[in-house]
Amino acid sequence: MIAFLLKRLGLSLVTLWLLSVMAFAGAQVLPGNLGRAMLGPFADQRAVDALNHEMGTDRPVLVQYADWVSRFVVGDMGKSYAYRTPVAPLVTTALINSAKLALVAFLLVVPLGILGGIIAALNAGRPVDRGLTIFGLSATIVPEFVSGIVLILVFGVWLKWLPISATWPNDAGALTQVYHLLLPSIPLVLVLFGYIARMTRAGMIEALDSDYTRTAILKGLPHHTVIWRHVLRNALLPTISVIATQTAYLIGGLVVIETLFHYQGIGGLIFTAASKKDFPTLQAGVLTVGAIFILASLCADLLYALLNPRIRVGGRE
Amino acid sequence: MAINYRLLDALRRGRSEHENHLIDGMLAGRVNRREFMRHGSVLGLSLPFLGSVATAVGLAGAPRLARAGTPGGTIRIAQNVPAAAIDPVKIADGGGITVMSQVAETLVLSGADLTAKPVLAESWSPNKDGSVWTFKLRQGVKFHSGKVMTADDVVASFDRIADPANGSNALSALGGVLSKGGTRKVDDHTVEFHLDAPNGGFPYIVSTDNYNAVILPADYAGDFEQNMNGTGPFKMEKYTPKVGASFVRNTEYWGGQVLPDRLEVSFYSDYQPQILALQGGQIDIIQQIPVLQGVGLLNDPNVDIISTPSTAHQQVHMRTDLDPFKDKRVRRAIALCLDRPKIVQGLMKGRAQIGNDSPFAAAYPSTDPNVKQREKNIAEAKQLMEAAGMGGGFETTLTVEKYLEIPDYGVLIQNAVKEIGGKIKINQLDQGAYYGDAVYGKSPWLDSDMGITDYGHRGVPNVFLSAPLQSDGTWNSAHFKNTEYDALVKSYIASLDLDSQRTSAGKIQTLLLDETPVLFVYFYDFLTATKKGATGVQPTAMSHLFMNQASL
Repeated sequence: MIAFLLKRLGLSLVTLWLLSVMAFAGAQVLPGNLGRAMLGPFADQRAVDALNHEMGTDRPVLVQYADWVSRFVVGDMGKSYAYRTPVAPLVTTALINSAKLALVAFLLVVPLGILGGIIAALNAGRPVDRGLTIFGLSATIVPEFVSGIVLILVFGVWLKWLPISATWPNDAGALTQVYHLLLPSIPLVLVLFGYIARMTRAGMIEALDSDYTRTAILKGLPHHTVIWRHVLRNALLPTISVIATQTAYLIGGLVVIETLFHYQGIGGLIFTAASKKDFPTLQAGVLTVGAIFILASLCADLLYALLNPRIRVGGRE
Repeated sequence: MAINYRLLDALRRGRSEHENHLIDGMLAGRVNRREFMRHGSVLGLSLPFLGSVATAVGLAGAPRLARAGTPGGTIRIAQNVPAAAIDPVKIADGGGITVMSQVAETLVLSGADLTAKPVLAESWSPNKDGSVWTFKLRQGVKFHSGKVMTADDVVASFDRIADPANGSNALSALGGVLSKGGTRKVDDHTVEFHLDAPNGGFPYIVSTDNYNAVILPADYAGDFEQNMNGTGPFKMEKYTPKVGASFVRNTEYWGGQVLPDRLEVSFYSDYQPQILALQGGQIDIIQQIPVLQGVGLLNDPNVDIISTPSTAHQQVHMRTDLDPFKDKRVRRAIALCLDRPKIVQGLMKGRAQIGNDSPFAAAYPSTDPNVKQREKNIAEAKQLMEAAGMGGGFETTLTVEKYLEIPDYGVLIQNAVKEIGGKIKINQLDQGAYYGDAVYGKSPWLDSDMGITDYGHRGVPNVFLSAPLQSDGTWNSAHFKNTEYDALVKSYIASLDLDSQRTSAGKIQTLLLDETPVLFVYFYDFLTATKKGATGVQPTAMSHLFMNQASL
């Protein structure tokens, strides 16, 4: 297991390094330069040159990259070109915000999705199953910005039940923060509900059909024990994979939701940094989201192994 | 019209040649009251004096009954997120300007009516040829740190933004106008500006139009976001990059009582959330809302729209050095295909003024109103195309930036020229790609055969006349080269009196109608949305938002 973890860690570092090269190269491909992006198209060329010199972006590309790497490996994320402040607090604040929104969405969607999948599987082929499948599919294909606007109009503008802005007032407590995050998390719940419910349903139906379930029923175990201990435990394995792969999306890929609900998350931070050629912020943001994706995949593998002893045995072999 | 000659004589006594010439213009009927007020303010005549002259001539305006606001309370403002750190020397975007306008001030305010109003300067006057301007500074003005503002601060502020080494965004406005060292202290409250060349519109260069020209302490060290130490009506309470800011009333403000206790400013990266937040009662003011994005608010009974006339516009350039636009008859034919009133009503929902293919918007006092307005005329357009040997039509690519209504405007032009056999392919680019490196050879904006570019508001048309249209202009995307035009612009910019300016303007307008290197079809208004009943909110078309007299 330790060898497995070390191997994964090594691969993760290589992945992150490649990611940083890709992000850097991508930023170079974008037209224009930092000074021009910051001062605008109508700025005097002398001002643009002076700003590029001040920021060091008039140096050769490889020198800039090497300079950044040498700082990053000792924990210095550098200063944002655009905001002239250290990148670390910008990324940390945005990451915490994104994590809070992802957590609220997860707490809502995971139980709902699994419950929906279980109910659908136990009623396979019946109207309840069809209804849940159609609802899940419909909710998944509606883009977040469409459901988001409808939700804002209904619950924020007309009924005024929930705040439109996800940004809470200064010094707000945990409950107030959750209150502000409810509305933006609903579009995410709608998008993910279908995935999770369908994966759970498929896993459940397969597990319900299996020999060990039949054996458990024939042994005379109570119905809920069969479902909880034998069916669900096996049925949830693919669902866990789905949830893990959605973690990075929920943390780093919510630019539209963050924009619509006026929320300062890491998705928006990366998007803005890319458009402004703010390289230190872009790199730090991309690597953070990359690290989360890798971490989430690793967690999924570990959880998989915990839930399924056969995988653990396989790992040892 | 009864003229009070006794009062008029008393008012004229001791006035300069240019000032008396302006009064003569109003007496002779060449200059109307509005133009008199605007141009008089540029020459440094105070508004009370201008009002007295207008009264003596028998053209007194109706008194305005302004509703006084109620002191106190917190006003919540939504605005676009500043694009970069707030440093007045380098600031270049509307979001940053809105924040800065709460705390820092310029010598002059370029008002919504295009008059130049005193702010940190009490008065100003030019020498005979407009090459030296003397500004008397307001006394008793304090920075938020408690330090009194003097001429040293003003000299340092202008030397700072005029120094190429500091990379100020103001260099584009100051180029050829004012160099480092040109600002000189006369005494603690008087400053002289020695210009690179005579300039009749110089007060606008030190006004809110040149937003980088706010007065900062002489020892400013580039750390504006730390304390926002200006002279403005609000003091910074808290500033969080990308998130928002809060401000509290400056109790020592030179301009009298500031009404709101606090301002809470939230930064947004898009317009739709701001609209929803206003409709949901979570904010009180949206600093700026483009007309297409704000259609839903225009008829909302719970929202007031402040429509600030501006000279902002979209320039449609045609490469005068390349086919099919080498022949000016083709360019004129394209201009004749456009139905301007319909574009203003349909595309801009009536929130714009019709343009006449020159930078001279009707709002400028120097614009010659006698130049005939260009109107849609397909028959004439077809004749011009035949005469140019292009009766069979033409093909070209129109490159547009994805910004505001520009892509829709491009489609309108594409459809309009079909009537003369024009086949236009549209190439849409995001803003970064459209401007590229913003130098010739590396920018679709400057290199494309035909393109549409957004230009912001200016209190005088000098920048619009020079950079995009002069032979050596740095933004000359039409590649227009005309020595007669260059000479006329030079003469216009140097003119101090309104009659000379208008004479040059008329010639420029006529020349541009004939050559048509660039289409100026409309000048759009700057819209600010407030909660119903809000008073005293004063936006400018340069993105300032003056809130000291605001009340909900």
